[in-house]
Amino acid sequence: MYIYTCADDFESMMTCIYDVWADKRGSQNVRLELEPIGQQEMFSTYIQIQKDEEKAGKVTASIQKKISPEAYRQVFLAAMSDAKDRLDVIYRFLLLGFACGREVTKRLADGPVMRLFELSRRTGNDMHYYREFTRFVRIEPGIYVAHIEPSCNVAVLTAAHFADRMPSEYWMIVDDKRSLAVVHPKDEDYYVTPLSIKELQNLQTIEKQRDIYTDLWKEFFETIAIKERENPRCQRTHMPLHYRKHVTEFM
Amino acid sequence: MELIKGLSFQEKLHILADAAKYDVACTSSGVDRRGKEGYLGNSKACGICHSFAADGRCISLLKVLMTNHCVYDCKYCLNRVSNDTVRTAFTPQELCELTIEFYKRNYIEGLFLSSGIQKNPTYTMEKMCEALELLRTVYRFNGYIHVKAVPGAPDELITRAGYLADRMSINMELPTAESMKKLAPNKSFSTILKPMRKVTNTIASHRLAQGKSAYLERSTSNQYLSGSIFSEEQRRIAGSSRTEEAQSNLLTISQREHQKLLNRPFASAGQSTQMIIGATPETDYHLIKTTQSLYQQFDLKRVFFSAYVPLNEDRDLPSLDTKPPLLREHRLYQADWLLRYYGFQADELLSEDKPNFNEQLDPKCDWALRHLERFPIEVNTAPYEDILRIPGVGPKSAARIIQSRRFGSLDFDHLKKMGVVLKRAHYFITCSGRMMYHTPIEEKYITRQLTSVEYRENWELQHQQGYRQMSLFSDFGIQA
Repeated sequence: MYIYTCADDFESMMTCIYDVWADKRGSQNVRLELEPIGQQEMFSTYIQIQKDEEKAGKVTASIQKKISPEAYRQVFLAAMSDAKDRLDVIYRFLLLGFACGREVTKRLADGPVMRLFELSRRTGNDMHYYREFTRFVRIEPGIYVAHIEPSCNVAVLTAAHFADRMPSEYWMIVDDKRSLAVVHPKDEDYYVTPLSIKELQNLQTIEKQRDIYTDLWKEFFETIAIKERENPRCQRTHMPLHYRKHVTEFM
Repeated sequence: MELIKGLSFQEKLHILADAAKYDVACTSSGVDRRGKEGYLGNSKACGICHSFAADGRCISLLKVLMTNHCVYDCKYCLNRVSNDTVRTAFTPQELCELTIEFYKRNYIEGLFLSSGIQKNPTYTMEKMCEALELLRTVYRFNGYIHVKAVPGAPDELITRAGYLADRMSINMELPTAESMKKLAPNKSFSTILKPMRKVTNTIASHRLAQGKSAYLERSTSNQYLSGSIFSEEQRRIAGSSRTEEAQSNLLTISQREHQKLLNRPFASAGQSTQMIIGATPETDYHLIKTTQSLYQQFDLKRVFFSAYVPLNEDRDLPSLDTKPPLLREHRLYQADWLLRYYGFQADELLSEDKPNFNEQLDPKCDWALRHLERFPIEVNTAPYEDILRIPGVGPKSAARIIQSRRFGSLDFDHLKKMGVVLKRAHYFITCSGRMMYHTPIEEKYITRQLTSVEYRENWELQHQQGYRQMSLFSDFGIQA
């Protein structure tokens, strides 16, 4: 068994798939894993792949052209999920995809297709939750900062939504778990930047800040519930506890 | 009844949100609109909930009244003129700033603006339009707005509101003229249905002008269902012919006026209404028939139900200790979904002889059990409309089944991963000729099984206030 490993980012994953493909060792003789690797297997050969933009570009282009944009969307979402086996699933999905073309996303009865569908759905759901539950805090002179800790890597995906929504504001979304921030300057494109520990700590103090509108919001939130219909279980189903960590009205 | 001047802004918000909370429609769905540079906000057709209140209801919009001042005396309402409560009102500026700041913090999708009747309908509607126009033009707000049309307001104002908002609604509150006469003496059916008809026609004519169909978009499942209440044939049977009707009885606006309102389309997310459940003696059959005809005749986007919460004492109303009929409301919503997404008709679900929903079972299971001759359905070959009728299968999983079975036969594990709820579905389906367990297709047996699945959920819905965990500290006064 040959085990290919690569770093946990989208380009490395695509490079890895390119190299596995090019090496032609046969799909049943290879496995793809993301670093860090835990216990190594005794009788397997480990091959580490370094990110290569050109190779990654070729793979993403051919997924869109030879399979379909929909397949690419699902692959990207699956790559952003938190499942351990996601790289291997993407590889096996693509094997099928390059063989049978755009219909592959409908072949849910095939193992890898179903698994990829599940992973992309998981990321997609997470993305939707963070559209709903991301909360910004205003710091003077008018920058809006949000903190999130998503299980799937959805900071950038969520940012695309907010870029459309608030194109003429300064804002940033900080992923506390992965120490990265998406920064959006007024009337410009947003960009992703990694944060040092110090920067992250500084940003985290901001979250505790209160102003008149946080108080008004809490007042509204308390008031709008109908006492006669109180139903914490239903509330929990719609808004699971772990999403509430950075949500203003629950802090 | 005084407009108290010395209230803090927070107290004002408390009063005007508290007075608006019994309105149920809090959706932000129905229209896709991209953001624009220099403006704040966009809109997603799927709708986005931003929080869930302690009662489990979604908070999507800033739902407030313009004022809780009211000259009407509707018996069920908190704000009726005969109630002695503190009255106040937002100024348009206050309302705009609140909306904008909440929106920028991602607390809300937009504004839901309703109002008590201050002085008269015209004055009230004018105030609301003033606030909305300020919000759209000066504050450059491009997010979602849901506005209540005040029955009795002149056409010009309703028109203006429609061009400023994404969704309009006029509340029916009560499904029959008698009930309305009894409980809302200042309103009448005609003051509600007339503007509703005009709004419907105006939306349709706008859609036609944009090259769309006169009818609002519905769930795609409806395209494949011949019996759907939105199919051409069923609409014809119901006597609705939007295309011709849309030419007359319109709300019109001059070109200059329209330009002032930024050339926005008219209520592009459609129109909705709500009805109170449990204050009057109507049956579920009556309510669901009314709902269906509102969808067909008025092309409403949604009909909402609101379980009656007793707020006032009156001989025409249920007594103050009546619990809100939450389970009944839940069943009505389930049935409403069956109408809009599953191709059911009101007459299939209930009839004159069986006018109320089964408390133990949801309407779809209930229907399936009365039609066991149609089951079990073979998942790998059955047509789409049959698959959609299996309890535990929704439009999404049904579409997945149809798409994927062309490439290989499906088993129960596949179904589960596609999102089918097998604990309900497995009594009604076969995969390649096999059932999941060895179960008899027998009404009594399946009813027993399914009611035990639902028992706990139903019990909790009915007894929300009645029970809680006892606590050593608060119940027995033990100090920690």
